[in-house]
Amino acid sequence: MPVEQAGTGGPAEGGQLFAGYETDPAFYDEMFDAAGAPRAHCRELWEALGETPRDEIATMQERAERSFLHEGITFSVYGEEGAQERIIPIDIIPRLVSAEEWENLERGLRQRLEALNLFLADIYGPGRIVADGVIPADLVRGCPQFRIAMRGVEVQHGAYVSVCGTDLVRTHDGFQVLEDNLRVPSGVSYMLANRQAVKTSLRNVFRRHRVRGIEDYGRLLRQTLAELSPRGDADPTIVLLTPGVYNSAFYEHMFLAREMGVELVQGSDLVARNGFVYMRTTGGLQRVDVIYRRIDDDYLDPLAFRPDSVLGTPGLFNAYRLGNVAIANAPGTGVADDKSVYAYVPEMIRYFLNEEPLLANVETHLCRDPEGLEFTLDNLDRLVVKEVGGSGGYGMLVGAHATAEERTAFAELIRQNPSNYISQPTLDLSCAPCLTEDGAAPRHVDLRPFVLRGQETRLVPGAFCRVALTPGSLVVNSSQGGGGKDLWVLSE
Amino acid sequence: MLSRSAQGLYWIGRYLERAQHGCRLIADQFETMKDRPVDEIDKGWRRLYLGLGRAPVGGELRSNLDDEQFMLVDAFTLADDLTFEPGNPDSIRNSLANARENARQVRNVVDEDLWSCLNLAFLEIRDVEIADIWRDRPNEFYRRTEDTVRTFFGIADGAMYRDDSWQFLQLGRFVERAQLLAGLIDAQLSVYPAGGPRADRGGDPDWLSLLRICAARDAYGRLHSLQFEPAAVVDFLVAEPLLTRSVRYALARVCEALDAVSAGRPLLVEAGRRAGRLAASIDYDWPNRDPGDDNANRATLREIGDSCRRLHDDIDAAYFSYGMEDSPDA
Repeated sequence: MPVEQAGTGGPAEGGQLFAGYETDPAFYDEMFDAAGAPRAHCRELWEALGETPRDEIATMQERAERSFLHEGITFSVYGEEGAQERIIPIDIIPRLVSAEEWENLERGLRQRLEALNLFLADIYGPGRIVADGVIPADLVRGCPQFRIAMRGVEVQHGAYVSVCGTDLVRTHDGFQVLEDNLRVPSGVSYMLANRQAVKTSLRNVFRRHRVRGIEDYGRLLRQTLAELSPRGDADPTIVLLTPGVYNSAFYEHMFLAREMGVELVQGSDLVARNGFVYMRTTGGLQRVDVIYRRIDDDYLDPLAFRPDSVLGTPGLFNAYRLGNVAIANAPGTGVADDKSVYAYVPEMIRYFLNEEPLLANVETHLCRDPEGLEFTLDNLDRLVVKEVGGSGGYGMLVGAHATAEERTAFAELIRQNPSNYISQPTLDLSCAPCLTEDGAAPRHVDLRPFVLRGQETRLVPGAFCRVALTPGSLVVNSSQGGGGKDLWVLSE
Repeated sequence: MLSRSAQGLYWIGRYLERAQHGCRLIADQFETMKDRPVDEIDKGWRRLYLGLGRAPVGGELRSNLDDEQFMLVDAFTLADDLTFEPGNPDSIRNSLANARENARQVRNVVDEDLWSCLNLAFLEIRDVEIADIWRDRPNEFYRRTEDTVRTFFGIADGAMYRDDSWQFLQLGRFVERAQLLAGLIDAQLSVYPAGGPRADRGGDPDWLSLLRICAARDAYGRLHSLQFEPAAVVDFLVAEPLLTRSVRYALARVCEALDAVSAGRPLLVEAGRRAGRLAASIDYDWPNRDPGDDNANRATLREIGDSCRRLHDDIDAAYFSYGMEDSPDA
């Protein structure tokens, strides 16, 4: 990497694109250091984009967005007019992660998923961690996501969570895990689609980098799922179970089914009888070995979980308990991504693996504890309060951005049901340059890598990088107006 | 394959065939409007609506044959009804949208190129209105739209793996075609009785137009030296096995597809038996008809149409919506 020759090498010199780019010292910037110079692993990108005329970059951006629309890479938003198809806006300036950064992340992610799976095997099995007083019993058993029906169920390779999507943020203190998504994490199709689009539109810039490939994801997922097959044969029948075309992630379900070459089924396509699960084909009923389900526990089987569900397959859970079909992720994994249980993940790592956690947790106050409740209520204006079972940016309060009335109202909700809430400091999410009408500008980002666990743990070097497109906004959720970025893990 | 995926492909086939048929009908009617007298134009619309089994806006055709200007305004309304009317489930736009929606639901079994073709066509037609296409040349709109369908089937023909997904696409396409053709020929005989007095039969242009809709003009011309004898035209469009837009040809493709999806034992399911019987009746019974007996021939055509509708139910029962107890493996 050439050492800079003259000047500061700051944003202003990276051609017109970065001319007006101003980093905010409060936030870590993914591309520029505190002095405003491009970080070593970003210098190539900074130069390459700087050399590219602005209108050319704008054209590339348009082309990428158009390709999403034409290929129908969409998600559904529930609004007044029913579900609508929208594209997740893409920003074509990639986010770069150095080889070293990734190596640390990967080790931390593997460690974390290992501990989480051991935790699930323990609470649905011998229950040592509760008996030893590491985690309060009522926190585990009182969790709405705890599935008593899972007690004593044999899970292949202990892989309760086969697909994990961990949300990570970076602050000046380094990477921190914001949450573990262990039920039906989504977004991996956008990771792959963003790569495809950016690789095409920025191909000359892409060629100048050594970016590690992520295209293997579909194959790895299929291999992971195949390893869960109760029959243990080489070519099990795998299906992907979707709630249907109105689900916000339907595109992803379709995409993954195609990538893996498996059938995309809905609950009504499956039939459970005599302890086995079958799918309805034009040639009659065909036995199913592995179900990669993208619906919540509640809707899997009305006999085992929610009786009013019309989406599920009656008898499915019984077949699962008998060991005649695998379900990934296993029912009941939600207890481990409950936001109160989250606070104990570092303890789990120490307890089960006898190791120090490689990835930090965000400081979390449990309102179920009197001290936590008091602290939360006293500091509502600078905390983020979340429901323990919430996701997707719903049911939360960002104290700093709320009005006094909103805070008062929320405080009342917390007092009524303290166990339902946790609080965390407002995080100074890092920023990355995004394309705006006035050139590149900093926007807050996070990342969600996907970790797979069958017989062994696998992950591709990449992540769905989410970006808050509204200036200053910290909310990156796709359902709340967030967009995506391609994330390049460099191989050197 | 998964029943629901097969069903999606079947419906893609049906809706695209329906959209294409609509394009061909309207494009032909615009040809008629170029140089034919108003009463011919009026009859053209009647044939069109009768063939589709649809009542025009307002419940009936109310032509004013003394007012050419009225006929033009009328054409605008009628073309809108058949092309864009949101309340017309079989309008060209709705047919394309439905084909695309079915493709979206079973997209994992639809080739990417096929999906792109449909998705682009849908995005293109989604916000178009009749006034937009009326301003320049409406014919071009119908030609372009038909080209979309042709492109789709061209890609499918050239690239699709010949497994059950291909067969169910074919099945939907040709069940729809047989049904639409039977309706169209029936309507032709209603408006231009072949066995009636010479004056009512319609002139060459009226039979020529029917051939044109079915892309059969050249083939017919080579066989019959452009003698547009009504009985010969009808026979050609019903029974000619080499003509892609004949009832017989469509039924042959239906039988083939059923043969493939039933692993060579089509007669084990009612759909296979019914399609076979229908094809055989055209081979063995149709030639013995009295070409001058319009009523009997129209009844036969309506029977073919009804059989196609029942065939649809048979296919649905055998492959898509069968109960547990009917499953071959149960």
